[in-house]
Amino acid sequence: MQEDFHYYATYCAAFLAGYSHEESLCISYSAQFVDLCSASLLAKLRAPKSAATTQLSMEMADARTDLPGLQNITRIWASFHFLPYDLNAEKKGVSRRYRRKYRLICHPNGSLVEDTVRLAKGGSLQSVGLAMHVLADTWAHSNFAGTPSLVINNTDSHFYELMPDGTERAVRFRHNPIGPDDLENGIYTNSIYQMGENSIMNLGHGRAGHLPDYSFLRYKYLPAWDGYREIIKDNPSDYLHAFCQMIEAMKYLRGERDSFVRERYDWAAIQGLEDEIREILNRRQNNACADWKALGEKLSGQEIEDFSVETYQQEYLEAAGKDKDATFLGKFFLAALAQKSMVTNKIYKSGSLLAGYSVDFWEKGFRGIKDFRKLVDQVRDSRK
Amino acid sequence: MTSLQRIRKVLKGLLMLLGAAFLLLIPDKGYLIIGLILSVVLILDGIRSLWFYFTMARNMVGGKMILFRGIIGLDLGVFAYTLKEIPPVYILLYLLIANLFSGVVDVLRAMEAKRMESRWRLSFVTGAFNILLAVACGFCFRDPTVLTYVYAAGLITSAFLCIAQTFRKTAIVYIP
Repeated sequence: MQEDFHYYATYCAAFLAGYSHEESLCISYSAQFVDLCSASLLAKLRAPKSAATTQLSMEMADARTDLPGLQNITRIWASFHFLPYDLNAEKKGVSRRYRRKYRLICHPNGSLVEDTVRLAKGGSLQSVGLAMHVLADTWAHSNFAGTPSLVINNTDSHFYELMPDGTERAVRFRHNPIGPDDLENGIYTNSIYQMGENSIMNLGHGRAGHLPDYSFLRYKYLPAWDGYREIIKDNPSDYLHAFCQMIEAMKYLRGERDSFVRERYDWAAIQGLEDEIREILNRRQNNACADWKALGEKLSGQEIEDFSVETYQQEYLEAAGKDKDATFLGKFFLAALAQKSMVTNKIYKSGSLLAGYSVDFWEKGFRGIKDFRKLVDQVRDSRK
Repeated sequence: MTSLQRIRKVLKGLLMLLGAAFLLLIPDKGYLIIGLILSVVLILDGIRSLWFYFTMARNMVGGKMILFRGIIGLDLGVFAYTLKEIPPVYILLYLLIANLFSGVVDVLRAMEAKRMESRWRLSFVTGAFNILLAVACGFCFRDPTVLTYVYAAGLITSAFLCIAQTFRKTAIVYIP
Protein backbone atom coordinates (compact mmCIF):
# COMPACT_ATOMS: atom_id res chain seq x y z
CA MET A 1 0.00 0.00 0.00
CA GLN A 2 1.09 3.55 -0.54
CA GLU A 3 0.42 7.04 0.74
CA ASP A 4 -3.01 7.10 -0.90
CA PHE A 5 -4.31 4.35 1.35
CA HIS A 6 -2.12 4.71 4.45
CA TYR A 7 -2.63 8.46 4.73
CA TYR A 8 -5.79 9.58 2.95
CA ALA A 9 -7.90 6.40 3.12
CA THR A 10 -6.90 5.90 6.77
CA TYR A 11 -8.08 9.47 7.43
CA CYS A 12 -11.45 8.60 5.86
CA ALA A 13 -11.72 5.38 7.88
CA ALA A 14 -10.81 7.15 11.13
CA PHE A 15 -13.38 9.87 10.49
CA LEU A 16 -16.06 7.27 9.68
CA ALA A 17 -15.12 5.46 12.91
CA GLY A 18 -16.01 8.60 14.84
CA TYR A 19 -12.70 10.37 15.38
CA SER A 20 -12.58 14.15 14.94
CA HIS A 21 -10.79 15.79 12.01
CA GLU A 22 -7.71 16.53 14.15
CA GLU A 23 -7.63 13.03 15.62
CA SER A 24 -8.08 11.48 12.19
CA LEU A 25 -5.17 13.53 10.85
CA CYS A 26 -2.99 12.37 13.71
CA ILE A 27 -3.92 8.72 13.10
CA SER A 28 -3.42 8.89 9.35
CA TYR A 29 -0.09 10.72 9.74
CA SER A 30 1.15 7.95 12.02
CA ALA A 31 -0.12 5.26 9.65
CA GLN A 32 1.84 6.80 6.78
CA PHE A 33 4.91 7.53 8.92
CA VAL A 34 5.44 3.77 9.33
CA ASP A 35 6.67 3.75 5.72
CA LEU A 36 9.21 6.51 6.43
CA CYS A 37 10.62 5.85 9.88
CA SER A 38 14.00 4.43 8.84
CA ALA A 39 17.28 4.09 10.73
CA SER A 40 18.65 7.02 8.70
CA LEU A 41 15.79 9.27 9.77
CA LEU A 42 16.15 8.16 13.39
CA ALA A 43 19.88 8.91 13.26
CA LYS A 44 19.08 12.40 12.03
CA LEU A 45 16.61 12.87 14.91
CA ARG A 46 18.98 11.23 17.42
CA ALA A 47 16.10 8.90 18.30
CA PRO A 48 16.32 5.20 19.29
CA LYS A 49 17.30 3.23 16.19
CA SER A 50 15.30 0.22 17.31
CA ALA A 51 12.15 2.23 16.62
CA ALA A 52 12.75 1.86 12.88
CA THR A 53 9.62 0.67 11.12
CA THR A 54 11.05 0.50 7.63
CA GLN A 55 14.31 0.35 5.72
CA LEU A 56 15.29 2.59 2.82
CA SER A 57 16.34 0.93 -0.40
CA MET A 58 20.03 1.62 0.18
CA GLU A 59 19.83 0.60 3.82
CA MET A 60 18.57 -2.73 2.57
CA ALA A 61 21.23 -3.01 -0.12
CA ASP A 62 23.81 -2.40 2.57
CA ALA A 63 22.18 -4.57 5.24
CA ARG A 64 24.19 -7.50 6.54
CA THR A 65 22.47 -10.82 6.07
CA ASP A 66 24.25 -12.61 8.90
CA LEU A 67 22.13 -13.73 11.84
CA PRO A 68 21.76 -10.40 13.72
CA GLY A 69 21.24 -8.58 10.43
CA LEU A 70 18.51 -10.98 9.34
CA GLN A 71 16.84 -10.73 12.72
CA ASN A 72 16.77 -6.96 12.46
CA ILE A 73 15.27 -7.11 8.97
CA THR A 74 12.65 -9.63 10.06
CA ARG A 75 11.71 -7.63 13.15
CA ILE A 76 11.04 -4.59 11.01
CA TRP A 77 9.21 -6.18 8.10
CA ALA A 78 7.29 -8.87 9.96
CA SER A 79 6.18 -6.49 12.72
CA PHE A 80 4.97 -3.63 10.54
CA HIS A 81 4.41 -4.74 6.95
CA PHE A 82 3.98 -8.52 6.74
CA LEU A 83 2.33 -9.59 9.96
CA PRO A 84 2.52 -13.41 10.17
CA TYR A 85 -0.84 -15.14 9.92
CA ASP A 86 -0.28 -18.35 11.82
CA LEU A 87 2.86 -18.93 13.84
CA ASN A 88 1.84 -22.53 14.48
CA ALA A 89 1.06 -23.40 10.86
CA GLU A 90 2.02 -26.89 9.76
CA LYS A 91 3.11 -28.18 6.38
CA LYS A 92 3.82 -31.84 5.80
CA GLY A 93 7.18 -33.15 4.65
CA VAL A 94 9.20 -29.99 5.19
CA SER A 95 12.26 -29.31 7.30
CA ARG A 96 12.09 -27.31 10.53
CA ARG A 97 14.01 -24.48 8.89
CA TYR A 98 11.48 -24.33 6.06
CA ARG A 99 8.55 -24.44 8.47
CA ARG A 100 9.88 -21.48 10.44
CA LYS A 101 9.87 -19.34 7.32
CA TYR A 102 6.55 -20.72 6.14
CA ARG A 103 4.98 -19.63 9.41
CA LEU A 104 5.88 -16.01 8.72
CA ILE A 105 3.64 -15.79 5.65
CA CYS A 106 1.27 -12.87 5.95
CA HIS A 107 -2.52 -13.14 5.51
CA PRO A 108 -5.34 -11.04 6.91
CA ASN A 109 -7.28 -11.99 10.03
CA GLY A 110 -4.53 -13.82 11.88
CA SER A 111 -4.40 -13.78 15.67
CA LEU A 112 -1.52 -11.28 15.56
CA VAL A 113 -3.82 -8.67 14.00
CA GLU A 114 -6.02 -9.00 17.02
CA ASP A 115 -2.96 -8.65 19.28
CA THR A 116 -1.86 -5.59 17.32
CA VAL A 117 -5.21 -3.84 17.66
CA ARG A 118 -5.46 -4.74 21.35
CA LEU A 119 -1.97 -3.38 21.94
CA ALA A 120 -3.16 -0.01 20.66
CA LYS A 121 -6.19 0.01 22.95
CA GLY A 122 -5.91 2.78 25.52
CA GLY A 123 -2.75 4.01 23.83
CA SER A 124 -1.88 7.13 21.91
CA LEU A 125 -3.40 8.11 18.58
CA GLN A 126 0.01 7.33 17.13
CA SER A 127 -0.35 3.72 18.25
CA VAL A 128 -3.79 3.61 16.60
CA GLY A 129 -2.31 4.85 13.31
CA LEU A 130 0.54 2.39 13.51
CA ALA A 131 -1.88 -0.49 14.15
CA MET A 132 -3.98 0.60 11.16
CA HIS A 133 -0.92 0.48 8.93
CA VAL A 134 -0.14 -3.05 10.08
CA LEU A 135 -3.75 -4.18 9.67
CA ALA A 136 -4.10 -2.69 6.19
CA ASP A 137 -0.83 -4.24 5.02
CA THR A 138 -2.00 -7.73 5.99
CA TRP A 139 -4.47 -7.38 3.09
CA ALA A 140 -2.15 -5.87 0.52
CA HIS A 141 0.90 -7.98 1.38
CA SER A 142 -0.94 -11.24 1.76
CA ASN A 143 0.98 -14.40 0.66
CA PHE A 144 4.46 -12.95 1.25
CA ALA A 145 6.70 -13.10 4.32
CA GLY A 146 8.53 -10.24 6.05
CA THR A 147 11.85 -12.02 6.02
CA PRO A 148 14.27 -12.62 3.15
CA SER A 149 13.33 -16.01 1.73
CA LEU A 150 13.64 -17.38 -1.77
CA VAL A 151 11.55 -20.46 -0.99
CA ILE A 152 8.64 -18.36 0.24
CA ASN A 153 8.73 -15.05 -1.61
CA ASN A 154 9.95 -15.98 -5.06
CA THR A 155 7.68 -15.70 -8.10
CA ASP A 156 8.25 -16.94 -11.63
CA SER A 157 7.16 -16.06 -15.15
CA HIS A 158 3.65 -17.42 -14.60
CA PHE A 159 2.24 -14.00 -13.71
CA TYR A 160 -0.85 -12.56 -15.40
CA GLU A 161 -2.86 -9.43 -14.90
CA LEU A 162 -6.62 -9.98 -15.03
CA MET A 163 -7.93 -7.08 -17.10
CA PRO A 164 -11.31 -5.41 -16.45
CA ASP A 165 -12.64 -6.73 -19.79
CA GLY A 166 -12.07 -10.31 -18.66
CA THR A 167 -8.90 -10.93 -20.66
CA GLU A 168 -5.49 -11.84 -19.25
CA ARG A 169 -2.22 -10.07 -19.94
CA ALA A 170 1.22 -11.45 -19.10
CA VAL A 171 3.01 -9.21 -16.60
CA ARG A 172 6.45 -8.12 -17.77
CA PHE A 173 8.99 -7.42 -15.07
CA ARG A 174 12.13 -5.34 -15.33
CA HIS A 175 14.72 -4.39 -12.72
CA ASN A 176 15.04 -0.64 -13.11
CA PRO A 177 14.64 0.67 -9.54
CA ILE A 178 14.18 4.29 -10.59
CA GLY A 179 11.91 3.77 -13.58
CA PRO A 180 8.18 4.17 -12.88
CA ASP A 181 5.87 1.25 -13.54
CA ASP A 182 4.29 1.34 -16.97
CA LEU A 183 0.65 0.68 -16.15
CA GLU A 184 -0.51 1.08 -19.74
CA ASN A 185 1.70 -1.66 -21.10
CA GLY A 186 1.86 -3.81 -17.98
CA ILE A 187 5.59 -3.40 -17.36
CA TYR A 188 6.54 -3.39 -13.70
CA THR A 189 9.75 -3.16 -11.71
CA ASN A 190 10.64 -6.04 -9.43
CA SER A 191 13.72 -7.21 -7.57
CA ILE A 192 16.38 -9.34 -9.28
CA TYR A 193 16.23 -13.12 -9.03
CA GLN A 194 18.84 -14.18 -6.50
CA MET A 195 19.38 -17.82 -5.63
CA GLY A 196 20.54 -17.05 -2.11
CA GLU A 197 17.77 -17.91 0.35
CA ASN A 198 18.53 -14.88 2.51
CA SER A 199 19.24 -12.38 -0.24
CA ILE A 200 17.56 -9.04 0.41
CA MET A 201 16.07 -9.34 -3.10
CA ASN A 202 13.84 -12.06 -1.69
CA LEU A 203 12.29 -9.92 1.02
CA GLY A 204 8.51 -9.51 1.10
CA HIS A 205 6.85 -8.82 -2.24
CA GLY A 206 10.03 -7.59 -3.95
CA ARG A 207 9.85 -10.35 -6.53
CA ALA A 208 6.28 -9.37 -7.38
CA GLY A 209 7.20 -5.71 -7.68
CA HIS A 210 4.68 -3.13 -6.53
CA LEU A 211 1.70 -5.09 -7.78
CA PRO A 212 0.33 -5.68 -4.27
CA ASP A 213 0.46 -1.90 -3.69
CA TYR A 214 -1.94 -0.92 -6.48
CA SER A 215 -5.57 -1.00 -5.38
CA PHE A 216 -6.94 -1.49 -8.91
CA LEU A 217 -4.96 -4.61 -9.84
CA ARG A 218 -6.22 -8.15 -10.15
CA TYR A 219 -3.65 -10.77 -11.02
CA LYS A 220 -2.80 -14.43 -10.75
CA TYR A 221 0.55 -16.05 -10.12
CA LEU A 222 2.31 -19.01 -8.57
CA PRO A 223 3.66 -18.28 -5.12
CA ALA A 224 6.84 -20.20 -4.38
CA TRP A 225 5.38 -21.90 -1.31
CA ASP A 226 2.06 -23.29 -2.46
CA GLY A 227 2.98 -26.36 -4.49
CA TYR A 228 2.21 -24.98 -7.96
CA ARG A 229 -1.27 -23.80 -6.95
CA GLU A 230 -2.29 -20.58 -8.62
CA ILE A 231 -3.32 -17.65 -6.46
CA ILE A 232 -5.75 -15.01 -7.69
CA LYS A 233 -5.17 -11.71 -5.94
CA ASP A 234 -8.10 -9.32 -6.08
CA ASN A 235 -6.72 -6.04 -4.77
CA PRO A 236 -9.92 -3.92 -5.09
CA SER A 237 -11.82 -6.42 -2.95
CA ASP A 238 -8.94 -6.79 -0.47
CA TYR A 239 -8.53 -3.03 -0.12
CA LEU A 240 -12.25 -2.58 0.51
CA HIS A 241 -12.12 -5.26 3.21
CA ALA A 242 -9.08 -3.53 4.72
CA PHE A 243 -10.94 -0.22 4.77
CA CYS A 244 -14.01 -1.62 6.51
CA GLN A 245 -11.90 -3.62 8.95
CA MET A 246 -10.01 -0.46 9.87
CA ILE A 247 -13.30 1.27 10.69
CA GLU A 248 -14.34 -1.72 12.79
CA ALA A 249 -10.99 -1.77 14.62
CA MET A 250 -11.03 1.97 15.28
CA LYS A 251 -14.57 1.81 16.63
CA TYR A 252 -13.25 -0.75 19.10
CA LEU A 253 -10.29 1.46 19.95
CA ARG A 254 -12.59 4.43 20.54
CA GLY A 255 -14.72 2.32 22.87
CA GLU A 256 -17.72 2.09 20.57
CA ARG A 257 -17.33 -1.70 20.35
CA ASP A 258 -16.69 -4.04 23.26
CA SER A 259 -14.27 -6.23 21.40
CA PHE A 260 -12.35 -6.49 18.17
CA VAL A 261 -13.46 -9.59 16.36
CA ARG A 262 -11.54 -10.90 13.37
CA GLU A 263 -13.34 -11.21 10.05
CA ARG A 264 -15.83 -8.53 10.99
CA TYR A 265 -16.14 -5.52 8.71
CA ASP A 266 -18.16 -2.39 9.24
CA TRP A 267 -20.04 -2.41 5.92
CA ALA A 268 -22.76 -0.26 7.44
CA ALA A 269 -20.32 2.62 7.91
CA ILE A 270 -19.75 2.94 4.16
CA GLN A 271 -23.42 2.76 3.14
CA GLY A 272 -23.97 5.45 0.56
CA LEU A 273 -20.24 5.69 -0.08
CA GLU A 274 -19.54 2.21 -1.33
CA ASP A 275 -19.86 2.99 -5.04
CA GLU A 276 -17.58 6.00 -4.72
CA ILE A 277 -14.99 3.99 -2.79
CA ARG A 278 -15.13 1.11 -5.27
CA GLU A 279 -14.65 3.59 -8.07
CA ILE A 280 -11.51 5.01 -6.42
CA LEU A 281 -10.15 1.54 -5.76
CA ASN A 282 -10.73 0.41 -9.34
CA ARG A 283 -9.32 3.46 -11.08
CA ARG A 284 -6.14 2.58 -12.97
CA GLN A 285 -3.58 5.08 -11.66
CA ASN A 286 -0.17 5.16 -10.00
CA ASN A 287 -1.59 6.62 -6.83
CA ALA A 288 -5.05 7.57 -5.72
CA CYS A 289 -4.10 10.37 -3.30
CA ALA A 290 -6.24 13.04 -5.00
CA ASP A 291 -9.34 10.83 -5.04
CA TRP A 292 -9.06 9.74 -1.41
CA LYS A 293 -8.24 13.29 -0.34
CA ALA A 294 -11.37 14.60 -2.05
CA LEU A 295 -13.47 11.94 -0.34
CA GLY A 296 -11.93 12.71 3.05
CA GLU A 297 -12.55 16.44 2.68
CA LYS A 298 -16.12 15.77 1.59
CA LEU A 299 -16.67 13.62 4.69
CA SER A 300 -15.24 16.03 7.26
CA GLY A 301 -15.70 19.31 5.46
CA GLN A 302 -12.14 20.17 6.46
CA GLU A 303 -8.98 20.53 4.46
CA ILE A 304 -6.57 17.58 4.71
CA GLU A 305 -3.05 18.92 4.59
CA ASP A 306 -0.53 17.09 2.43
CA PHE A 307 1.74 14.64 4.19
CA SER A 308 5.21 15.90 4.97
CA VAL A 309 7.82 13.85 6.77
CA GLU A 310 9.19 17.09 8.29
CA THR A 311 6.02 18.15 10.11
CA TYR A 312 6.89 16.99 13.63
CA GLN A 313 10.68 16.72 13.47
CA GLN A 314 11.48 20.13 14.95
CA GLU A 315 9.20 19.51 17.92
CA TYR A 316 11.09 16.28 18.68
CA LEU A 317 14.53 17.82 18.20
CA GLU A 318 13.74 20.77 20.45
CA ALA A 319 12.21 18.73 23.29
CA ALA A 320 14.56 18.04 26.17
CA GLY A 321 15.37 14.60 27.61
CA LYS A 322 12.30 12.76 28.80
CA ASP A 323 9.98 15.35 27.27
CA LYS A 324 10.78 13.85 23.89
CA ASP A 325 8.54 10.87 24.69
CA ALA A 326 5.58 13.24 25.02
CA THR A 327 6.05 14.73 21.56
CA PHE A 328 4.21 13.48 18.50
CA LEU A 329 7.15 11.48 17.20
CA GLY A 330 8.15 10.36 20.70
CA LYS A 331 4.73 8.71 21.09
CA PHE A 332 5.11 7.12 17.67
CA PHE A 333 8.50 5.66 18.58
CA LEU A 334 7.09 4.19 21.79
CA ALA A 335 4.25 2.60 19.82
CA ALA A 336 6.75 1.19 17.33
CA LEU A 337 8.95 -0.29 20.07
CA ALA A 338 5.91 -1.89 21.72
CA GLN A 339 4.70 -3.45 18.45
CA LYS A 340 8.16 -4.76 17.60
CA SER A 341 8.60 -6.19 21.07
CA MET A 342 5.20 -7.91 20.94
CA VAL A 343 5.68 -9.49 17.50
CA THR A 344 9.25 -10.58 18.28
CA ASN A 345 7.96 -12.26 21.42
CA LYS A 346 5.24 -14.16 19.55
CA ILE A 347 7.70 -15.36 16.88
CA TYR A 348 10.23 -16.34 19.54
CA LYS A 349 7.61 -18.25 21.50
CA SER A 350 6.67 -20.19 18.37
CA GLY A 351 10.17 -21.68 18.54
CA SER A 352 11.82 -19.49 15.94
CA LEU A 353 14.80 -17.19 16.30
CA LEU A 354 14.16 -15.50 12.96
CA ALA A 355 13.22 -12.25 14.67
CA GLY A 356 15.67 -12.67 17.55
CA TYR A 357 15.53 -13.35 21.26
CA SER A 358 12.69 -12.13 23.41
CA VAL A 359 13.11 -11.70 27.14
CA ASP A 360 10.09 -11.62 29.44
CA PHE A 361 10.63 -8.58 31.65
CA TRP A 362 8.63 -9.91 34.61
CA GLU A 363 10.60 -13.16 34.65
CA LYS A 364 14.12 -12.02 33.87
CA GLY A 365 14.18 -8.27 34.31
CA PHE A 366 15.60 -5.95 31.71
CA ARG A 367 18.03 -7.46 29.21
CA GLY A 368 19.13 -6.87 25.66
CA ILE A 369 18.89 -3.83 23.40
CA LYS A 370 18.96 -0.62 25.45
CA ASP A 371 16.40 1.23 23.32
CA PHE A 372 13.62 -0.95 24.67
CA ARG A 373 14.17 0.36 28.18
CA LYS A 374 11.73 3.07 27.15
CA LEU A 375 8.96 0.48 27.32
CA VAL A 376 9.87 -0.34 30.91
CA ASP A 377 9.93 3.37 31.80
CA GLN A 378 6.54 3.78 30.17
CA VAL A 379 5.01 1.01 32.28
CA ARG A 380 6.57 2.48 35.43
CA ASP A 381 5.26 5.95 34.59
CA SER A 382 1.77 4.65 33.93
CA ARG A 383 1.73 2.96 37.35
CA LYS A 384 2.69 6.11 39.21
CA MET B 1 22.26 -15.03 19.48
CA THR B 2 22.70 -18.22 21.46
CA SER B 3 25.98 -18.83 23.33
CA LEU B 4 26.91 -21.45 20.75
CA GLN B 5 26.35 -18.99 17.92
CA ARG B 6 28.52 -16.43 19.71
CA ILE B 7 31.31 -18.97 20.22
CA ARG B 8 31.11 -19.96 16.56
CA LYS B 9 31.37 -16.34 15.48
CA VAL B 10 34.44 -15.71 17.67
CA LEU B 11 36.12 -18.86 16.34
CA LYS B 12 35.34 -17.82 12.78
CA GLY B 13 36.84 -14.39 13.43
CA LEU B 14 39.96 -15.87 14.99
CA LEU B 15 40.40 -18.26 12.05
CA MET B 16 40.16 -15.35 9.64
CA LEU B 17 42.79 -13.43 11.62
CA LEU B 18 45.07 -16.46 11.59
CA GLY B 19 44.59 -16.80 7.84
CA ALA B 20 45.39 -13.13 7.30
CA ALA B 21 48.54 -13.36 9.44
CA PHE B 22 49.64 -16.40 7.48
CA LEU B 23 49.13 -14.62 4.18
CA LEU B 24 51.07 -11.57 5.36
CA LEU B 25 54.00 -13.78 6.37
CA ILE B 26 54.39 -15.14 2.84
CA PRO B 27 53.01 -12.40 0.57
CA ASP B 28 54.84 -13.61 -2.56
CA LYS B 29 53.15 -17.01 -2.48
CA GLY B 30 49.98 -15.86 -0.76
CA TYR B 31 47.91 -15.76 -3.91
CA LEU B 32 48.31 -19.53 -4.26
CA ILE B 33 46.66 -19.95 -0.89
CA ILE B 34 43.94 -17.45 -1.84
CA GLY B 35 43.26 -19.51 -4.96
CA LEU B 36 43.03 -22.59 -2.81
CA ILE B 37 40.67 -20.85 -0.39
CA LEU B 38 38.43 -19.67 -3.24
CA SER B 39 38.22 -23.14 -4.78
CA VAL B 40 37.37 -24.65 -1.39
CA VAL B 41 34.74 -21.92 -0.96
CA LEU B 42 33.26 -22.89 -4.35
CA ILE B 43 33.13 -26.56 -3.34
CA LEU B 44 31.51 -25.69 -0.01
CA ASP B 45 29.04 -23.40 -1.78
CA GLY B 46 28.09 -26.24 -4.13
CA ILE B 47 27.56 -28.58 -1.20
CA ARG B 48 25.58 -25.89 0.61
CA SER B 49 23.33 -25.41 -2.43
CA LEU B 50 22.65 -29.14 -2.60
CA TRP B 51 21.85 -29.16 1.11
CA PHE B 52 19.60 -26.14 0.62
CA TYR B 53 17.80 -27.93 -2.21
CA PHE B 54 17.11 -31.06 -0.20
CA THR B 55 16.05 -29.25 2.98
CA MET B 56 14.23 -26.21 1.57
CA ALA B 57 14.09 -25.59 -2.16
CA ARG B 58 12.54 -28.90 -3.21
CA ASN B 59 9.31 -27.50 -1.72
CA MET B 60 9.54 -24.41 -3.87
CA VAL B 61 8.13 -23.64 -7.29
CA GLY B 62 11.11 -23.80 -9.67
CA GLY B 63 13.37 -25.21 -6.94
CA LYS B 64 15.20 -27.49 -9.39
CA MET B 65 17.34 -24.49 -10.38
CA ILE B 66 19.00 -24.72 -6.97
CA LEU B 67 19.81 -28.36 -7.55
CA PHE B 68 21.49 -27.53 -10.88
CA ARG B 69 23.34 -24.64 -9.31
CA GLY B 70 24.65 -26.92 -6.58
CA ILE B 71 25.87 -29.51 -9.05
CA ILE B 72 27.54 -26.93 -11.31
CA GLY B 73 29.07 -25.06 -8.35
CA LEU B 74 30.47 -28.26 -6.91
CA ASP B 75 31.86 -29.23 -10.29
CA LEU B 76 33.50 -25.83 -10.76
CA GLY B 77 34.97 -25.97 -7.27
CA VAL B 78 36.48 -29.40 -7.83
CA PHE B 79 37.82 -28.24 -11.19
CA ALA B 80 39.42 -25.14 -9.64
CA TYR B 81 40.89 -27.28 -6.88
CA THR B 82 42.54 -29.63 -9.36
CA LEU B 83 44.27 -26.76 -11.16
CA LYS B 84 47.88 -26.44 -10.05
CA GLU B 85 47.76 -22.71 -10.13
CA ILE B 86 44.91 -20.26 -10.72
CA PRO B 87 46.30 -17.25 -12.62
CA PRO B 88 46.45 -14.27 -10.20
CA VAL B 89 44.55 -12.15 -12.68
CA TYR B 90 41.31 -14.05 -11.99
CA ILE B 91 41.65 -13.68 -8.26
CA LEU B 92 42.44 -10.03 -8.69
CA LEU B 93 39.39 -9.58 -10.85
CA TYR B 94 37.26 -11.19 -8.15
CA LEU B 95 38.64 -8.83 -5.50
CA LEU B 96 38.22 -5.84 -7.76
CA ILE B 97 34.55 -6.55 -8.47
CA ALA B 98 33.77 -7.35 -4.82
CA ASN B 99 35.35 -4.11 -3.57
CA LEU B 100 33.86 -2.00 -6.32
CA PHE B 101 30.35 -3.31 -5.67
CA SER B 102 30.64 -2.81 -1.92
CA GLY B 103 32.04 0.70 -2.45
CA VAL B 104 29.29 1.77 -4.83
CA VAL B 105 26.59 0.51 -2.44
CA ASP B 106 28.17 2.46 0.44
CA VAL B 107 28.37 5.66 -1.58
CA LEU B 108 24.77 5.32 -2.78
CA ARG B 109 23.67 4.74 0.78
CA ALA B 110 25.57 7.82 1.92
CA MET B 111 23.87 9.87 -0.79
CA GLU B 112 20.47 8.56 0.30
CA ALA B 113 21.25 9.51 3.92
CA LYS B 114 22.53 12.93 2.84
CA ARG B 115 19.30 13.63 1.00
CA MET B 116 17.53 12.99 4.29
CA GLU B 117 20.01 15.23 6.12
CA SER B 118 21.02 12.19 8.15
CA ARG B 119 24.54 10.90 8.97
CA TRP B 120 26.32 10.06 5.74
CA ARG B 121 30.04 10.76 6.07
CA LEU B 122 31.17 7.39 7.48
CA SER B 123 29.33 5.47 4.76
CA PHE B 124 30.77 7.78 2.13
CA VAL B 125 34.34 7.42 3.37
CA THR B 126 34.02 3.60 3.58
CA GLY B 127 32.58 3.49 0.09
CA ALA B 128 35.22 5.80 -1.36
CA PHE B 129 37.93 3.69 0.30
CA ASN B 130 36.56 0.48 -1.23
CA ILE B 131 36.34 2.07 -4.66
CA LEU B 132 39.90 3.37 -4.36
CA LEU B 133 41.03 -0.10 -3.31
CA ALA B 134 39.39 -1.58 -6.38
CA VAL B 135 41.09 1.01 -8.58
CA ALA B 136 44.44 0.26 -6.89
CA CYS B 137 43.89 -3.46 -7.56
CA GLY B 138 43.33 -2.56 -11.20
CA PHE B 139 46.68 -0.75 -11.36
CA CYS B 140 48.59 -3.59 -9.73
CA PHE B 141 47.23 -6.14 -12.12
CA ARG B 142 50.44 -8.12 -12.44
CA ASP B 143 51.69 -8.03 -8.87
CA PRO B 144 50.48 -11.00 -6.78
CA THR B 145 52.03 -9.52 -3.62
CA VAL B 146 49.64 -6.56 -3.67
CA LEU B 147 46.78 -8.95 -4.21
CA THR B 148 47.77 -10.85 -1.06
CA TYR B 149 47.89 -7.64 0.99
CA VAL B 150 44.45 -6.53 -0.22
CA TYR B 151 42.93 -9.93 0.51
CA ALA B 152 44.57 -10.06 3.95
CA ALA B 153 43.25 -6.56 4.76
CA GLY B 154 39.74 -7.68 3.79
CA LEU B 155 40.08 -10.75 5.98
CA ILE B 156 41.23 -8.70 8.98
CA THR B 157 38.29 -6.26 8.62
CA SER B 158 35.80 -9.13 8.35
CA ALA B 159 37.38 -10.88 11.32
CA PHE B 160 37.07 -7.82 13.57
CA LEU B 161 33.48 -7.23 12.46
CA CYS B 162 32.68 -10.86 13.15
CA ILE B 163 34.17 -10.76 16.65
CA ALA B 164 32.66 -7.35 17.46
CA GLN B 165 29.21 -8.65 16.55
CA THR B 166 29.33 -11.34 19.22
CA PHE B 167 29.32 -8.63 21.88
CA ARG B 168 26.26 -6.91 20.47
CA LYS B 169 23.13 -7.07 22.57
CA THR B 170 20.42 -8.62 20.46
CA ALA B 171 17.62 -9.61 22.81
CA ILE B 172 14.36 -7.65 22.92
CA VAL B 173 12.55 -7.14 26.16
CA TYR B 174 8.82 -7.91 26.26
CA ILE B 175 6.41 -6.68 28.89
CA PRO B 176 3.24 -8.81 28.74
